[in-house]
Amino acid sequence: MTGRVNKTLGLVIGAYLLVFLQSHLQWPRLWLGFQPDLTPALLVCAGLTLGAGQVSTAAMLTGLWLDSMSANPLGLSVLPLFIAGWAVFSFREFILRDQLVVQFYLGTTAGAAVPLLQVWLLQLVGSSPLLGWQMGVWCLVNALLCGVAVPVFGRLAKLLDRWFSHPLHDPNRWPNENRQIVRGKN
Amino acid sequence: MKRFFYRSQQTAVGAVLLTVFLLLVMPEGVRARLKSAIGGLFLPAVSISTTGQAAFESLGQLGVSDRDSYPANQAHSSGPRAVSSITELQLENDRLAGENKRLREAVEWGQRIPWETRFARVVGRDPFNWWRRIKINLGGNKGIRLNQPVISVRGELLGRISEVGPLTSWVLLVGDPNCRFSALLKESRSQGGIVSPRQYSTDPRVVELTYLPNDAEVNPGQSVVTSGMGGAFPKEIPVGQVVDSWVSKNGLYTEARVKLYANLNQLEIVRVLTTY
Repeated sequence: MTGRVNKTLGLVIGAYLLVFLQSHLQWPRLWLGFQPDLTPALLVCAGLTLGAGQVSTAAMLTGLWLDSMSANPLGLSVLPLFIAGWAVFSFREFILRDQLVVQFYLGTTAGAAVPLLQVWLLQLVGSSPLLGWQMGVWCLVNALLCGVAVPVFGRLAKLLDRWFSHPLHDPNRWPNENRQIVRGKN
Repeated sequence: MKRFFYRSQQTAVGAVLLTVFLLLVMPEGVRARLKSAIGGLFLPAVSISTTGQAAFESLGQLGVSDRDSYPANQAHSSGPRAVSSITELQLENDRLAGENKRLREAVEWGQRIPWETRFARVVGRDPFNWWRRIKINLGGNKGIRLNQPVISVRGELLGRISEVGPLTSWVLLVGDPNCRFSALLKESRSQGGIVSPRQYSTDPRVVELTYLPNDAEVNPGQSVVTSGMGGAFPKEIPVGQVVDSWVSKNGLYTEARVKLYANLNQLEIVRVLTTY
């Protein structure tokens, strides 16, 4: 398999596992008092390293899976996640995307913006979710968790890529760095 | 922003926007079926997780039975290892005693509950904090139907079935904005309505009892039970206890904060009322 297919497959499996764990793991809710949502971090990670098709696929699948496991109208989470991933993808050439601090800030911003967009869209379609000032605290803590998750996801993706992909073949590269061609008269 | 105008990127943006648009304009029935089908993709993961958990538990029990079969003097003869073995046995013993107690309680409570019930295991939760729903491992194939009441092992009200899939169902918990029902104060028989708290709280046990008559005597500690009005829930299912009360802003009725008997954060096994 090519590296591109590997990366897409890894992203899809990662998104599936993340949504599954978010809806089936009980202990984060018991420890923190709320269920963290790390899907914005995944989209930021995809936006930083992958292509347009992969970002939109990740946003669609993650959003649909999340909504299928919740009382949200189906498709509501797709747009906020896509906006987060696409914004990072569009401006990634202008930012120091390899820096941990930058990744943290991007994750934090996406982690705060995505739930706010989701709530705004929910109210737009006439749903009445449970809101309050404690939700703001949750949003803040979740944003910080997303900030931490972006570099972690990035490292994990690199590790998986190293395990499952062949190194790129460079035909112009000379196999032995020390070899020299000595030209003489004969 | 120049990149935005590349053809492949236009396709990606167009695909997402088209998907969202189609999902939003889709008829409600089709959307619900599609949602159930997409949610069904997680069934393999759920069964692997449940089977893994069961295998892990049975392995633990196997370890205990192996240790039990050792002669007693062998356990005492090997110094620190024997001490750790005894500690492990004590811990296991405590765990089994706790489980035994819970099961005994479940059987005793089951005898007190006047309705026919069916046990279900909680296998998931709504990943969003602004909804309160749990997923149970019984679906349409086990006779689960829409709006059946769900109670805790001890008979306290938890909610009602809101979505039924072939193998799993979703339970709308008390305190969710979409779970409203009629309830009354057990002592004074004053009737009101249970609604979700006005503000999101990390304590899911707090809900509000509203539309109580102003002349109703509302005191902290009073029990709240279902009234049976509207047919959503049978009468007299315990809901919670009054924490405090106040007169509404417009002065037309009294409201109270109610702490639910059931701990909604620690649900493992629930009962679905099949005949009531």
